[in-house]
Amino acid sequence: MKHAEGDSSNLTFDYEELLVRVDNDRELLRDLLLIFKEEFPRILLALREAVTAKEGSPVATAAHTLKGMLLNLAANQAAATAARLEQLGRQGESSRYAEVFATFESDAGKLLPQLDACMAEVCK
Amino acid sequence: MRILIADDEAMSRRLLQKTLERAGYEVRAVENGRQAADQLCVANGPKLALLDWVMPELDGPGVCQEVRKRKEQSYVYMVLLTSKEAKEDVVAGLGSGADDYLTKPFDPEELKARLRTGLRILDLENRLVEAREEMRFKAMHDGLTSLWNRGMILELLGRELARSRREHVSSAILLCDLDHFKNVNDTFGHVAGDEVLRETARRLLSSVRSYDFVGRYGGEEFLVVLNNCDPAFGFVRAEQIRKTIAQCPVQTSNGVVPVTMSLGVLLSHEWGVRPVEDLLQEADIALYAAKAAGRNCVKVAFPNAAAAIPESLIIEPAKHRR
Repeated sequence: MKHAEGDSSNLTFDYEELLVRVDNDRELLRDLLLIFKEEFPRILLALREAVTAKEGSPVATAAHTLKGMLLNLAANQAAATAARLEQLGRQGESSRYAEVFATFESDAGKLLPQLDACMAEVCK
Repeated sequence: MRILIADDEAMSRRLLQKTLERAGYEVRAVENGRQAADQLCVANGPKLALLDWVMPELDGPGVCQEVRKRKEQSYVYMVLLTSKEAKEDVVAGLGSGADDYLTKPFDPEELKARLRTGLRILDLENRLVEAREEMRFKAMHDGLTSLWNRGMILELLGRELARSRREHVSSAILLCDLDHFKNVNDTFGHVAGDEVLRETARRLLSSVRSYDFVGRYGGEEFLVVLNNCDPAFGFVRAEQIRKTIAQCPVQTSNGVVPVTMSLGVLLSHEWGVRPVEDLLQEADIALYAAKAAGRNCVKVAFPNAAAAIPESLIIEPAKHRR
């Protein structure tokens, strides 16, 4: 994929892996990106609220969902951070929620523009 | 092949749906475990399922457990989709009744290969069920005529008698015998004889109600049980059967064979609480009376009628009929 910010080595998702996952189906890829774009802010908000409230179970649930979505897009780094948050939520280690959530927001901050660029290209 | 996918996450559902549709599956997608269990537990529900582990309302292992409780239904092959990779998670998933598991994110080719394994298992199950049903049919039916066989018609008669006594209604027992059947075999050959028996069975079945029982009692003997019928109906139906059998000759591969039938009728309520064997013997006596009266007729067994027939003829009546 040509990317607005540079070559594919800077991507925070694995474009080749993503293409394999969708069997090179651009329409399916577009569908997935659209669903992600619609769902991600809502679940991120739920995660943020759960982290703020230091509620383990909702943290784990929201992080689990985000992890699944990110894995589907081969966004492995952000997915790994979500997995860490899920694990902390399950273990009730509330003292570390904020720190790992900040990392996740940072991962997501890099990822989202790249997905937008990917979407623009797929929709051409 | 229909497949159910259950995943609360929309992207996974879409990805799975498209991947599987491309592979030729008819996909039904649901958003939680409760919906999945409900759909898998109904008769004629999907027999193949991909279940996310973590779902609202009921998780994947919970769905597996519910489906496995329904033992009377045909097998459902279930694959758990999970991002859990720990050995204890895998063990727990399979322990819940799942047949296989796949780690998320799944590889499309691996997913399809795993499902092909499921299809092989389901195909094997289908073949086993078919074989079982075939054996069950053979155990209960006569191989030549496909009527109930002797053992089964006697069992059905026993059940019907018990029911009619319990509900204080009458049943009619019709013991039917083709006249001079030995001559058919001798003249037209055994193949034609078999064709006559098959056609007789067909005519008998077409002459009774769907809830009556018709069985092959012996060589050319048939037993008909008319459920819940009053005495007049029993006799009238026996006459109808006799006419239907005699109405037109049977076209066989070795020529046209005229056939007639003699019938002995017994109405259960007139005989009190007596064992099936006794009642059959009374019907047999009435059948013998029909044979003695010139064949191609119906005789009704009455209490004490046996006294009117010499005992030497009653003991082995079949010997004298043919």
